[in-house]
Amino acid sequence: MYFQVGLADAETIFALSSGHGRCGVAVVRASGPASSTALRCMTRLTRNLPPPRKALLRSITDPQSKEVLDRGLVFWFPAPHSFTGEDSVEFHIHGGPAVITAVLHALGSVPGMRPAEAGEFTRRAFQAGKLGLTEVEGLGDLIHAETEAQRRQALRQMSGDLGRLYQDWSHKLKRCLAHVEAFIDFSEDELIEDGVLNQVDTWVCDLQAEIERHLQDERRGERLRTGVQVVIAGAANAGKSSLLNTLCQRPAAIVSPIAGTTRDIVETALDIGGFPVLLSDTAGLRESPDLVEREGVRRARERVDQADLTLVVVDCAHLPSDAEQAATFLEGHLRSVLSPQEQSLLVLNKTDLLPEEQRLELDWELRRVSGLPPVCHISCHTNEGLQDFLAVLHRSVKTLCGDPLSCAPTLTQARHRAHLQQCFAALAQYQRYRDIDLALAAEGVRLALTSLGRITGHVGAEEILDIIFKDFCIGK
Amino acid sequence: MPTYETIKVNLFLIRYKDTWNLNSKEYLHAVMFIDLIQYDVIVVGGGHAGTEAAAAAARVGAETLLVSQKIETIGALSCNPSLGGVGKGQLVKEVDALDGLCGRAGDWAGIHFSILNRRKGPAVWGPRAQLDRQRYREFIQSELLSTPRLTVLEGSVEELFVSEPNPEEPGHHRVTGIRLANGSHPISASSVVLTTGTFLSGSLFMGQSKSPGGRIGDAPSSAGLSHTLRERLGLRTGRLRTGTPPRIVKDSVDLSLANVHPPDSHPTPFSFLNTHTHCKPEEQLPCYLTYTTPGVERVVRESLHLNCHIQEDAKGPRYCPSIESRVLRFPGRRHQVWLEPEGVTSDILYPQGLSMTMPPDVQLRLIREIPAMHRAEIHTPGYGVQYDFVCPTQLSPALQVKSTQGLFLAGQINGTTGYEEAAAQGLWAGVNAARCALSRPTVALSRTESYIGVLIDDLVSRGVTEPYRMFTSRAEFRTSLRPDNADLRLTLKGFEEVGCVSIVRYQEAVRVRDSLQDALATLQALALSTQNWRKKLPDMRMSEVKNSLLTGMDVLRYNDVSFEMLASAFPECLSHHMEFSQRLKIEAVYRPHCNLQKKEIERIQKEENMSLPQDINYLTLPVSLSHEVREILDRVRPTTLGAATRLQGMTPAAIIHLFNYVRRTGQKERRSHRNKPDQREERKYLDIFIEVKQ
Repeated sequence: MYFQVGLADAETIFALSSGHGRCGVAVVRASGPASSTALRCMTRLTRNLPPPRKALLRSITDPQSKEVLDRGLVFWFPAPHSFTGEDSVEFHIHGGPAVITAVLHALGSVPGMRPAEAGEFTRRAFQAGKLGLTEVEGLGDLIHAETEAQRRQALRQMSGDLGRLYQDWSHKLKRCLAHVEAFIDFSEDELIEDGVLNQVDTWVCDLQAEIERHLQDERRGERLRTGVQVVIAGAANAGKSSLLNTLCQRPAAIVSPIAGTTRDIVETALDIGGFPVLLSDTAGLRESPDLVEREGVRRARERVDQADLTLVVVDCAHLPSDAEQAATFLEGHLRSVLSPQEQSLLVLNKTDLLPEEQRLELDWELRRVSGLPPVCHISCHTNEGLQDFLAVLHRSVKTLCGDPLSCAPTLTQARHRAHLQQCFAALAQYQRYRDIDLALAAEGVRLALTSLGRITGHVGAEEILDIIFKDFCIGK
Repeated sequence: MPTYETIKVNLFLIRYKDTWNLNSKEYLHAVMFIDLIQYDVIVVGGGHAGTEAAAAAARVGAETLLVSQKIETIGALSCNPSLGGVGKGQLVKEVDALDGLCGRAGDWAGIHFSILNRRKGPAVWGPRAQLDRQRYREFIQSELLSTPRLTVLEGSVEELFVSEPNPEEPGHHRVTGIRLANGSHPISASSVVLTTGTFLSGSLFMGQSKSPGGRIGDAPSSAGLSHTLRERLGLRTGRLRTGTPPRIVKDSVDLSLANVHPPDSHPTPFSFLNTHTHCKPEEQLPCYLTYTTPGVERVVRESLHLNCHIQEDAKGPRYCPSIESRVLRFPGRRHQVWLEPEGVTSDILYPQGLSMTMPPDVQLRLIREIPAMHRAEIHTPGYGVQYDFVCPTQLSPALQVKSTQGLFLAGQINGTTGYEEAAAQGLWAGVNAARCALSRPTVALSRTESYIGVLIDDLVSRGVTEPYRMFTSRAEFRTSLRPDNADLRLTLKGFEEVGCVSIVRYQEAVRVRDSLQDALATLQALALSTQNWRKKLPDMRMSEVKNSLLTGMDVLRYNDVSFEMLASAFPECLSHHMEFSQRLKIEAVYRPHCNLQKKEIERIQKEENMSLPQDINYLTLPVSLSHEVREILDRVRPTTLGAATRLQGMTPAAIIHLFNYVRRTGQKERRSHRNKPDQREERKYLDIFIEVKQ
């Protein structure tokens, strides 16, 4: 994934900046020189901009189709009196996903506008000297959180059909570039067949057609899964499926005392305190000779990596009876299940099987250990501790929903679209220069790959050289 | 400082250099004399890296000593008799732009000039020449002898002296000088540049025999140096391999069975100072192209058990592989073999593409499987070399060993391959060794301004896993880093900031820059309607009709418009710029693309201006960094924030934390100097959100 700013300071960025979930009002923010244009053409304010920093009720329309998308409040913040120090606008619209998607899409169609990268608003504010020293100190963590959320979001999308499609394009582009580069760097000394460039021409043509079709067909692609992604993970037979069933109050997953009952991901959409949650139950993490189960474990790990929040379920009965040892065991267990710095809750299940005294001792010990996630004792069998657990879960989900990036696939979608358009335009450069100047033509393919790389991941010079040496026998 | 007498000895040698005999008594006198004194810079090794390093150090103003095992092999072309090519030609142009030797030496010694990639766009043109080995060596040697402040000494370095570091500078050791193998006195110096090529623990392979050495015919270098680097300085080393083909007796080859490959009819010199090459166009020699046969593959397979080199697991290059690895990796194909002349009077041909390490009798069998060589005789058999290199991530962008003050490395010792790569590093190491010795700050070249910068940045921030060779595809800004504009990119800076360029060359570069600017301004000011352009240039095909005016620059961008056409249409304002017609055309075509790259280039340069302290302990740094990131930073120890962002595995958050840390420590220091922190200065570094691989 790319994090590229600086280059694009003349560009105007936009993003959904309010949280997700069941909220009445959503805030979409834009910052940069084209903000005023966007405000004008989306609110049909032909002559005057609204007075600075004052709310104005307007119909919000799509500048292309002239369709009214919503009626909402708009704010105009001329530079330098805005969060970013640049010209900014805010649209306060109704919170439904359809309205948000439509407004983001409309903004994207205004010339000079593009979806913001993670942390970009903050960075611009920093640049304009709008952040205090403590805020600047916290910037690293903020950026980390935002890029992490974006990474997870991208991972989710990339694991589906759409992801496969983009990966396939990226792979083709890499080969195109490798073959053009081979022709530039080696053909004078080597036996590089004359047909190499003709082959690239065909690939580029096909790719352009495919990307164009994809861009035109807006409904294509998969339905995006919305909501906070909560994943239940842990050792086999810890009671993960029981927890899922308890939470959704119906048997969505099969539970049995046999370890390894759940082999694939079981997914349920839930509403926790008004926030949309997508809860996934995964296979128990253990070494297994069974091929199907091994695949289940692989998928479980993949899902944990994509999760916004992981519920690590542990069977109390299997803890060492000494409290200190138990704490050490739990620390190690968390490390083996989670990747570093992942958000999680530790759920100690089957608490009804633990003597009261031992439980208190353990509680006291766990409180002394720093760096542990919040700990909840529950029993899926007796429903003991369930209310407390729900309260903790609710708090975590609420915090996560405050972060617009963690549950807004539309934003990722808009970003992908912008990158694909750039990719398409760059391929045209290849065709324009193919017979005139191969260095400039190659530059086109390189730009196309960079644009696509912002979706699928960075491609370095070494990777291109690897393909060259695999496909051609380079002697000199 | 050398005494007046030493300089006199040098002058004496210069004056009589035409009649100078390398083994004469005068020379020996010089050797005995200089043994007693101290130098600013000592360069060890007289190959492409060493000669450029010595000459550059002397140009910068340092009293320099070049120590080579054998005076007569200084400037020798150990392998192929050619210079330049795609990517490598760019390096030659840049070395020349910084007043280095190899470009002018190539113009003097070239016997077959051609621009590769002629039809693929000027950014990737590859100037290349076949060389006369003897002429090349002679040119380099006479240049070195006529370089003021430079002394040449024959000897083998036995020991490198190191002492306690200067506490005000980063590093754990400081280099203080060398001792030669013949037991003479130590020679002290502030900086030492090691350019030992394949000699560091080198072994030669031919068939099943293995002997110590770095090049056939030369004594192996002492184990002492290698020991000091590894044990005393604790440098990490790796092992690489390379090889060279057998040389073929020219008269024994049936050249009528090979395809003649003529040179360019108008040879283009490498050097910006030369308008023509030493060799007259009609005196150039051709190359010949032929191909391997299935018989070659058979001989390779049958003799594998006799071939130690191929069985060893040291890393060889994927390009320039031996014929053995070519046929093993791509069986059933025919491979090109170039037969290249070795010189005007030489009776030897160099078979490019036939590097091999089998026993000599098998080598003969192999080459005779190729029709043009069915009766060929081998002059000298081919052989393989395995050698140690120092992992270059331990170097700074000035090519100084980070842990050792004053110690610089250049060339194959850093894991590269090729004359041009060696020359480029040598020049830059020499410049910095001299600046270091003269108490001036070291300088770095950015990958946004030169191939030399790309080469060094790749080496010091990524390291090598196989011998590193330059390709144009390694330079992300190659449309800006063209062979035609190397002088504008580097000569001015080389004079004004680095101090390695002579005033004569500088003045020429200034003249060129001013003329080009003048011509471009004139072209830009020529604004006509489409109709008027059609009248002026009837031959031009201008399909679209635009309402706006087109400038001369716009029109020159058209594929079928040349500057000559414009000059004849507007003789009064353009004809006096005819000298630069080609450069102007190239500039017009590339300028819009280069302008697009400018912002990106500026961003990278800003990051590179922000240096990271070299004594940071990343493992304990009190900022929030993941364990993985700490380990990467600790291993590579990037010198700038820019270099840090290009490391595999860095995250945007880590960069910001680093940025904050550096800024904070910088503020503390400034406060201690009772200066208010300059906020604007800080904000200059705001573009810290960089392309970071997740």
